[in-house]
Amino acid sequence: MTKDALDEFLSSMDDPDSWRSVLNKLEGENIVLSDNDLEMIQRIQKKMIPDKDYDPYEPTVEWFTSKTEVMPLSAAPEPKGRFIPSKSEQGQIMKIVRAIRKGWVKTKEQKQLEKEQALPKFYDIWANSDPNAQDHPMHIPAPRMALPDHRESYNPPVEYIPTDEEIAEWNALDPELRPHNYIPKKHPNMRSVGAYERFINERFDRCLDLYLCPRMIKKRINIDPESLIPQLPSRKELEPYPTSLSIVYEGHTARIRCFSIDPTGKWLASGSDDCTVRCWELLTGRVVKSWKFDEPVMDVRWNPNPAFSILALAMENDVILINPSIGTKDVTVATDEAFANIWNKESPTKMEWNKPGPADFARGYRVVLHFNKSVTNVVWHRKGDYFSTVCPEGGGSAVSIHQISKKQTQHPFKKSYGLVQKVQFHPKKPWLFVATQRYIRVYNLIQQDLVHKLQPGVKWISSMDVHPQGDNVIMGSYDKRLCWFDLDLSAKPYKTLRYHKSAIRNATYHKTLPLFASCSDDGTVNIFHGMVYDSLDQNPLIVPLKSFKAHEVVESLGVLHVEFHPVQPWVVSCGSSGDGKFTLKLFS
Amino acid sequence: MGRIQKKGEKGAANNFISRNVAVRKLQISLAQFRRLCIIKGIYPREPRNKKKVNKGSTAPRTVYYKKDIQYLLHEPILQKLREIRAHQQKINRAIGKEEWAVAKQLEESKPEYRLDHIIRERYPSFNMAVRDLDDALSMLALFATLPTHSRVIKPSIIRKCARLISEFQHYVMITGRLKKVFVSIKGIYYQADIGGSDITWIVPHPFSQDTPKDVDFRIMATFLDLYETLVGFVNYKLYSDLNLVYPPKVKDEESSSGLAGFTVETVEGKVLAGSDNASAGAVNRKQRKEVEKRVKSIADKIGEISKKAAAEDGEDDEEEDEEEEDEDKDIPNAIVAPTDASEMVPSLRDAAKIVTGSSSHKLFHSCVFYLSREVPRHSLEFVIKAFGGKVGWPETSGAGSAVAEDDATITHQIVDRPGATKQGTRDYIQPQWVYDCVNAGKILKTKGYHIGETLPAHLSPFGGGKEGYVPAEAISALAVSKGIEAEEEEGDNVVGGIMADEAGAEVTEGADDDDDDVEDDGEEEIESEEEEEVYKAELEAEAAGLSYTEYMQKKAAEGKTTKKPAEGSKKRKISAAEAQAAEEKALAMTMMTKKDRNLYHKIEYGRKKKEEEAQKLLDRRIAHQKKEAAAKKGASKEVTEKKPAAKKQKKI
Repeated sequence: MTKDALDEFLSSMDDPDSWRSVLNKLEGENIVLSDNDLEMIQRIQKKMIPDKDYDPYEPTVEWFTSKTEVMPLSAAPEPKGRFIPSKSEQGQIMKIVRAIRKGWVKTKEQKQLEKEQALPKFYDIWANSDPNAQDHPMHIPAPRMALPDHRESYNPPVEYIPTDEEIAEWNALDPELRPHNYIPKKHPNMRSVGAYERFINERFDRCLDLYLCPRMIKKRINIDPESLIPQLPSRKELEPYPTSLSIVYEGHTARIRCFSIDPTGKWLASGSDDCTVRCWELLTGRVVKSWKFDEPVMDVRWNPNPAFSILALAMENDVILINPSIGTKDVTVATDEAFANIWNKESPTKMEWNKPGPADFARGYRVVLHFNKSVTNVVWHRKGDYFSTVCPEGGGSAVSIHQISKKQTQHPFKKSYGLVQKVQFHPKKPWLFVATQRYIRVYNLIQQDLVHKLQPGVKWISSMDVHPQGDNVIMGSYDKRLCWFDLDLSAKPYKTLRYHKSAIRNATYHKTLPLFASCSDDGTVNIFHGMVYDSLDQNPLIVPLKSFKAHEVVESLGVLHVEFHPVQPWVVSCGSSGDGKFTLKLFS
Repeated sequence: MGRIQKKGEKGAANNFISRNVAVRKLQISLAQFRRLCIIKGIYPREPRNKKKVNKGSTAPRTVYYKKDIQYLLHEPILQKLREIRAHQQKINRAIGKEEWAVAKQLEESKPEYRLDHIIRERYPSFNMAVRDLDDALSMLALFATLPTHSRVIKPSIIRKCARLISEFQHYVMITGRLKKVFVSIKGIYYQADIGGSDITWIVPHPFSQDTPKDVDFRIMATFLDLYETLVGFVNYKLYSDLNLVYPPKVKDEESSSGLAGFTVETVEGKVLAGSDNASAGAVNRKQRKEVEKRVKSIADKIGEISKKAAAEDGEDDEEEDEEEEDEDKDIPNAIVAPTDASEMVPSLRDAAKIVTGSSSHKLFHSCVFYLSREVPRHSLEFVIKAFGGKVGWPETSGAGSAVAEDDATITHQIVDRPGATKQGTRDYIQPQWVYDCVNAGKILKTKGYHIGETLPAHLSPFGGGKEGYVPAEAISALAVSKGIEAEEEEGDNVVGGIMADEAGAEVTEGADDDDDDVEDDGEEEIESEEEEEVYKAELEAEAAGLSYTEYMQKKAAEGKTTKKPAEGSKKRKISAAEAQAAEEKALAMTMMTKKDRNLYHKIEYGRKKKEEEAQKLLDRRIAHQKKEAAAKKGASKEVTEKKPAAKKQKKI
């Protein structure tokens, strides 16, 4: 019969021995453990031998000893095997012996000996070498380490000792950029020299250089820098050319944008931002005449025909032809007659040729042409009947050609190929040079086709001039370059010169002498000898002759225009003279 | 029509191979590739046209010459490296299986490679090997000074390095091939002439180096492996060429590491130690004389044939007989090893020529040095012995000293600490004197080198820096060597220094001037005025656009025509012709091509920078000397006030 938990609890409360009683499941009865039993259990729990009376360390009793007894326990005789060497062991040994004999196996000593005898550690390795042996042709020997100089000395001269600022500078530099990898220091005696802490690093860097650094052969040029400067013919042989400042024309109160010398070389007309045009006597600098306008004058050009005296002015949207009436009476009369005739004619074009009013006529105005866009450039044909104007924003009608005698205007191009900068008539042929921003196009006006397309390779063309013989063109650009084109040679420049420090404003040829000039925003005017030869196998000769520091740079503008005298080796430039005045200067 | 050539199959595109491709082709790890490259001397190239090599890309990429890599494919060491790797795997496996016996056996039979063939391959001739000795010696010298307990490198290797470097130095010492010595802040540079090429190596100062963290010692160890072999073979060749046994025996490895420790033997077994073992020489004297007689008889015959110096020879014979006793001491016995084989005679003569050829080898032959314990013994011993001197040191610095401290024959004692007790008539000098003597090629005066005195600057015998500035000390040395009588007061005259500086600048520019201006006027005021004038003239010349060389040449020319012109004529003005020349040059420069112009400006820039640097140094020197002179003046004034008698001494 089984008891439930309650019964068990009650009986355990009644029975004082219940804590030491265990249920024997086999018999189904409680057994009370004795004190001995409890002790044994405790010993087992402590991992001790259960029986407390057992002594694990009791002295051994030697029943069989190593001593040979007089009366042995066993009388059996020694087995024979103990006196005979082992056969199997002998077999194994013989195997090794045979291997050693035959050289299959080597002893340690043999190995050592062999290693030593194989090759002496060092011997005469270059015994039968060719003393003149050369390196492989593709081999690049590593450069040797640089030899130390005075500053590396432990006791260098005083001048090599860096100042505190220099040391700070040295420390601030990137280690690779330092001129020396150490700081020079003066030691009073040798005993105060310590170990160099970067010695191992430096050796290591050298090792890295030897096996990691790509090598290449660099030819070290050892040339005299002066030999790089080209030898030029003597300037004395190339005279005449302008050499010194002769006349200064003072009077304009604002920037002078343009001027022109009349074909006889007597008069100089200049147009300025102060909205005036002044006519100077070239040799004296006296103002003969001046006109006041409402707008700044963009361009002034004399008619190249000495039989007439016409001044073409471009300002804003107007082009005005003026008879200045300063020359001889014959010329003035001839000019007036020429203008008087045109008004009877019918104008076949849409462009309106306006007759000035009586007041304007009295001031010298003869014709007024009105444009939709602003005009920047006026150019005469050599005969003086035609002139061309440029309105860069005019699109297809940017370039227009006007004929005075017929009172007509033409727009030769239907399409625009870019912003037109300048135009120029060919001095002999019916060609028109049109300079856009990047290219110069040369058109034949009679056949109405493109003859050349010159590619100067510059960013922005500023000016252009055609050589009086017509085969050469010079061109200045805003990116400081001056290009000389030989039209017979190529569409690419024969020579590109870059000597100005800022944008070139104008480049021009002399009409009769082998000279050309350029002016720039750096305030200089440069004169060159530019000889063109008749024979085709000789290239033009270009020799720099003179550089004038002509004008001051004001608001980053220097010399805006330069022009030669038609006959004399004189050159005129315009710009600021530094003290707020704007002048023209003649160099002769 | 030929076959159409495809891109990238010929020329530069096919001549080079990138590193990754090379490693893949050789089927080795990057570390092994690195090891091979170091040993075989293969290095990356910078191709002339990067784009062609790089398949149109300009990205930075390491490329090797393709043939180099192809040669590597057949390299026996490559095979060995593979074997070593396989073997290591076997060992690892045995260790993993805890088969210790097998692992031990495998460890013992590890394959090894030798670098002999590499040395022969990289340096087909001995001269080529000598050319590459700079780095090898410096590296060995560094490792010889590393602490043996540093764990980064095995002590046995360090000992080997020490031995190889001292063997080489010993050779340099006994043959007297040392040329220059320079004590720098990094270490001591030595330059020796071996087989006609100058070998320069640096030995660190004798202090323990701390091993930096950012250095990969595996790379250094690979280099060291190669350099050990190279120097070993070179040493063998050098010793055997002198008919000496290599390796030389070490007397007592423990007590005297270094130069004194070697016992050099000839091939025939004759002992000859360094240059200071006189006892060994006595034995051989008889035989030597016989040989010398033979040599002389041959020389006489040659003389008769040449018919030129026949009479002189006869006279010289007697003198030479007298000199023989002296020569016995000078020529190391090693070289004059006696032999009756007549073939040996030419080689003996050669050897004797090597030794006695350079007169500077005998520089210290009349000096006996004693080194105090605080001076760097190894370096000084090497230098002094290489120049024929006798040297001793205290027991504490090591064994093998030739003289004792109380020896009466000692002429110089090298000390580097104040308060040494002085004995006898010997000179007590600082170590720099020895090095300066060697570089000057003569025995210098000891004034200024005594203990407690301010040492003169120690200059590099390898020349000045890139800026072309020559310090005053070097100029005075140059003047002395040119034969100009140096004043008694060497270089401590302010004026002399400045003037000499000017002259020095000219020397470097190549203008040949005749140093007559080393004179002392005494008055500083005049000198400074002159200086200012010179400066003004320089400024003017610069404004005129003259280059410095032109200016200096012009100045030199002027100096020659009017040796000492009137004061007024010194003020030069730019003449019209000069101005015109300058203008013409400026104009001609407008016609230069862009390439030429850039090159011109580059050259000019470099030149100007150098000049500026030199000028800065010169200015600093002048300022310093002025300051010093002012201080001296002040001091002398005080002295004169107190003691007028002392004036004469001060005013040198």
